[in-house]
Amino acid sequence: MSIKDKVPVTILTGFLGSGKTTLLNRILSEEHGKRIAVIENEYGEVGIDQGLVINADEEVFEMSNGCICCTVRGDLIRVLGNLMKRRDKFDYVLVETTGLADPGPVAQTFFMDEEISSEFTLDGIVTLVDAAHIDQQLGRSDESSEQVAFADVLVLNKTDLVSDDALDTLESRLRDMNRMTRIIRAENAKVPIETVLNLSAFDLDQILKRRPTFLEPEYPFEWTGVYDLDPGKYELILEEGPDPEMSLVALVNQGESEEELKDGAESSVRLYAENANTLEPGNTVPYGEHVNLKLENKGNKSFILNIEKPSKIGLFTQHTAEEFNMKVIKSDENKEIPFNTERFWQAEHEHDDEVGSIAIERFGDVDPEKLNTWMGRLLSEKGVDIFRTKGFISYSGNPRRIVFQGVHMLFTAQPDKEWGNEPRRNQLVFIGRNLNEKEMQEGFDKCLI
Amino acid sequence: MSDIEPFSPRGMFHEGWTAEVSDYAIACGWALKGKQFIVGDVAGGIFAFEGDTGKIIWKKENTHSGGLLAMAIHPEGEIFATSGQDGNVQICNCQEGKVIKTLNLGKGWVEHLKWSNDGLFLAIAISKKVYVFNEIGEEKWISEDHPSTVSAITWSNKNELATACYGRVTFFDIVNNKTNQKLEWQGSLVSMELSPDGDIVACGSQDNSVHFWRRSTGMDAEMTGYPGKPSHLSFDDSGKLLATSGSERITVWSFIGNGPEGTMPGELCHHTEPISSLAFSNKGMLVASGSRDGSVVASFLKNDGNGDPVGAAFAGDLVGAISWRPDDCALAAVNAKGVVNVWKFKVRTNLFSKGFK
Repeated sequence: MSIKDKVPVTILTGFLGSGKTTLLNRILSEEHGKRIAVIENEYGEVGIDQGLVINADEEVFEMSNGCICCTVRGDLIRVLGNLMKRRDKFDYVLVETTGLADPGPVAQTFFMDEEISSEFTLDGIVTLVDAAHIDQQLGRSDESSEQVAFADVLVLNKTDLVSDDALDTLESRLRDMNRMTRIIRAENAKVPIETVLNLSAFDLDQILKRRPTFLEPEYPFEWTGVYDLDPGKYELILEEGPDPEMSLVALVNQGESEEELKDGAESSVRLYAENANTLEPGNTVPYGEHVNLKLENKGNKSFILNIEKPSKIGLFTQHTAEEFNMKVIKSDENKEIPFNTERFWQAEHEHDDEVGSIAIERFGDVDPEKLNTWMGRLLSEKGVDIFRTKGFISYSGNPRRIVFQGVHMLFTAQPDKEWGNEPRRNQLVFIGRNLNEKEMQEGFDKCLI
Repeated sequence: MSDIEPFSPRGMFHEGWTAEVSDYAIACGWALKGKQFIVGDVAGGIFAFEGDTGKIIWKKENTHSGGLLAMAIHPEGEIFATSGQDGNVQICNCQEGKVIKTLNLGKGWVEHLKWSNDGLFLAIAISKKVYVFNEIGEEKWISEDHPSTVSAITWSNKNELATACYGRVTFFDIVNNKTNQKLEWQGSLVSMELSPDGDIVACGSQDNSVHFWRRSTGMDAEMTGYPGKPSHLSFDDSGKLLATSGSERITVWSFIGNGPEGTMPGELCHHTEPISSLAFSNKGMLVASGSRDGSVVASFLKNDGNGDPVGAAFAGDLVGAISWRPDDCALAAVNAKGVVNVWKFKVRTNLFSKGFK
């Protein structure tokens, strides 16, 4: 049975009070032409208005091998097993979990049980978040961070109770934890139905369309400005900013095309990895070196740039120029030289939460056997900490993309559309707890041909 | 000259009759000593056919709102019980399908029904509880809540009921309201069968294994390596062979000698899709299997569990249930499209010319 014939299932998670029942009622009452069977696990205060609703007690069944990745939801197997025989009555299934549920076993049920996986396909996991309370909940319980980590869609609900600034901060925290999720802000769970149903959430193309930078690597700098400078003496002037110091790399002959900027960024990444020399105000900025500008003093601080022959200078700065109102002034003319080009980079930041995401993007083909060995080992060693895996892979010799998706140590790989003229590449995202990005990237690189 | 002569039985599915019910057929069984065949569909339709001709005798629809979940015909074949998502059990007579008694057990799915072998008791599983009623619907016993939803029930002798759930099989003396034995195993037990003498307990587990216990010795064993969860188990009438399946393959364990521990099981590979029903004949080592691919095969087994197919037929769609007529001279299969197929079954051996005895 192909994916198209299988009944899609959406899992709805979220803490008590996050608005699951409100969303469920909204989905059931709206005209969307779908007949939805709801498997409900929580007897909320608000009842479900209509539709084929089945109540089931959550029964989390561990296996004798003690592996959490093999843990399934027995109630779902029973209920879905029965629903299978009534395919004429519905064409979509919604599973609502209790607030404290671990989404792992729910999702794993669709991989672990052959009978279920032959008839149903997991369309997506939607997690509702109470914008006013999620910050505390994330600190208090593993379940809430797991619900965030597993989500294909995060509905940031009750936004009317929280300031815009707080929402931005919250959104970036959630984004850190789960880079492939789509975040939707809502009041009273009012979200367009198509954003939560029929996601084919595992289609990475869609995610990339929405957020083209989500697979872009993180850099130790946020900004690059390229300045066209004639010979002479220049001052780099910074006002007071958010940090008492800032790292910088200045490169000579920096091109302005996207490709040249990326090359410059790669060189800077290597330089950033070296220890920085500290520069006091008044010092001269060397080229091709990692320096750390001291910015503790009040008022403007200025550093010297000497240019011997006409050159394009690229400044790769830890923060954006705007944050320090950074300017380049030609000393003898006291004239500001604007940058020709600027480029912002996806900045590395401190990940406060244990839960985070890792993205790997590489052009070229992989050796299926090597990949299998690597993935197998990775998932058996780290499967407990890896909540979800998604991505697509280019197998050498295979005209089709291979789509990967996994929950803990279970994963499926299915051939998808043909590559055609598209350049062959691999994109993988892992979401989990305390993942070692460098190690995983190196492991993947060894699978490339 | 020796009396023993190598001779493989050759049997065939001969043309019988076909009929239709209204929806996906999930349960079936023979009543009135094979004179009647009763089929239940998932929507709650119950249909009784003449066993020889397939002529409809009576039918009723919507017996359980929300749908039918189980049906069990009394061993004497005069009455039967049905249960459904409405939390009800109905005891009906076979002649006319008339309801003798409706038992309401509250909110929940009534998923399992089993008559005791002597027909005095009807065991009923609803969520975490098990009830026992007598033939006229009087309550005789209720269990405490099990740790999880009860996944299988079966009678081990006339007063003793076995229940399976997550992590445990329990034996209850329902007359003296006592727990006789608890067998524990951390795993989700999805199916259970007892050997005819009640000594061997076999359970299929969600982790794709079959677990055995021998009650008399307390020994247990785990048979792993199934490609899927072994939902289908069947003992032959002598208790020598246990057929199990969680995929398109049937694995047969032989309890002869020191087996099955340390022995190679028999394997039957006759179907292209996973088995959806499995049943030994009432007598003898003949096992019938129905598959999701619609095929039905009867295989004659040897003592080591291996064997050969002696007949096969196509039921048209996923086989929801199969049932041997009490004399084993007919085999019935009902399918996901609501089609009922009954084949006359004949086995020719050098000793018997008709039913396999």
